[in-house]
This record gives sequence, structure tokens and C-alpha cells, in this order.
Amino acid sequence: MAEAVDVATDEVQVRTVGPVRLELPPDPSLSRVARLAASGVASLTGFNVDEIDDIKVAVSEVMVALIEHGADCTIAVEFDVSGGSFTVRGTTVIDDFDVNHPDLVLCRTVLSAVCSDHGIDLNDGRAVIWASVEQSRG
Amino acid sequence: MTEPNSIDSLSATVSRDGVIVIAGDIDMAGGPILELAIAEREAQLAADGADHEPSPGDVVLDMAGVFFIDSSGLRSLLSATRRAGERGGKVVLRSVGPEVTRLLEITGTLDHFDIESQRG
Repeated sequence: MAEAVDVATDEVQVRTVGPVRLELPPDPSLSRVARLAASGVASLTGFNVDEIDDIKVAVSEVMVALIEHGADCTIAVEFDVSGGSFTVRGTTVIDDFDVNHPDLVLCRTVLSAVCSDHGIDLNDGRAVIWASVEQSRG
Repeated sequence: MTEPNSIDSLSATVSRDGVIVIAGDIDMAGGPILELAIAEREAQLAADGADHEPSPGDVVLDMAGVFFIDSSGLRSLLSATRRAGERGGKVVLRSVGPEVTRLLEITGTLDHFDIESQRG
């Protein structure tokens, strides 16, 4: 269940939301659904337009990696906003996952540019890709 | 012409003057639609010979309606640049928005394209 909590700090009011979870078939056309949901959560929690654009790109790259390199199984996507950071975490079943595949290298290049942090974890036949975008405090 | 349906995230139409007019998201779903339109235009170029302007092998994409692109969409564009290069032509991007420009800059692929104009 998603929860929203407003936390007052000295500088800015930081809103905490999540986790918001989606389970999607590995259908490329549903990447847009994940982006729409992410932009809604980000907008709700005060991210600006440029940050929301970065979040949409990050979510799309996570979906690209998991759909194109997963084992054609359900994609679980989770959005979490806390401490001024939006984190997307995607998970799916994998058969074989080459993190050095040229397409994944391109994904990671984009994630490096739009996110403050990201990573790929491979454990027990599952791939977990996460990426975080920081909220400006200006 | 590549007609959109209700779930497509992108439409790509080859206009009378040979420009591919794109509207929507160039992502995993939109990339293949764009590739079909580019292939249609490439077939026209091959059939028509060398009478086209501005140069015989150029593929011109009107990007005014594109507000989102990811790495999978970029791969579709890069495939077109490779084929255009083999023909001695290039891929010309018209009315490019900041979202597209940023991805090209991030990935170091801006110089693979001829940017004709930017969308404000």
C-alpha cells in the first residue's frame, strides 16, 4: 500500500510516498504505463518538470533492460520517494543476462546521466535494476 | 504509411515530399513503428534514384511531435544513420525538441545526425 507523509525540515517540506508497485506483462507498449505512473508519483511529491523528465527516462531504461533481456516474465516495478529521492526498482526473471551487452551499456550510459545513482543486481535467476533521481532543494 | 492504432505510442507518416513526420514517444513500442516508416522511405529512395533533394540518400525526420525518447528509440535512429551512411547520405532531424537533443548529447551521438532545426 502506498503511504504519503509530509516531513517538515528547516529548508523544505519533503514528502514521502511509497512504495507504489506495478506488475506488468513484458509488453513494450506498457513501458508508457510505467512512465505515466512514475510521473504521477513524482509530480505528487514535488519534483519539477526537468526532474520528472529524468525520472521518465530512468523508468523507461529500467523497462528496456528488463523486457529486452529478461525471460519474458512479469516485470515488477516499484516507485519509492523518500528523503528527496525518487527510486525506481524493477525486477524480473532472467535466463541469461549479460551486463556488458552493447544495448545494456547504452542503457547504463543514459542512467548514469539522468540519475544520481543506479545499479544492477543479479541473484537467484532474477535481475533487479534500480535507479534514483534526487530532488533539487532550491 | 504507418498508421497508428489506439495503443501505439507513436505515429510515423511519410509525407508527399518524403519527410517522415513523427508524433509520439520513440521507445520500445514506438521504435519498430519508426523503423517501418524509415524502411518505406528508404524503399522510395532506392526506387526513385538520384533525383531527390537535398541529396539522394538523405532521410528527413520531422520530430516536432516527439517529446520522449529512450535508448531503445535511439537505437532505431542509429540504425537509420548506418544505412544512410552506406548510401552516402545522412539522417536529417527537423524541429528537434530538448528531450531528444539531451539524449543525443548524453550518449555522444549528436554528431551522427544532421540537426536542421530545433523546436523551441
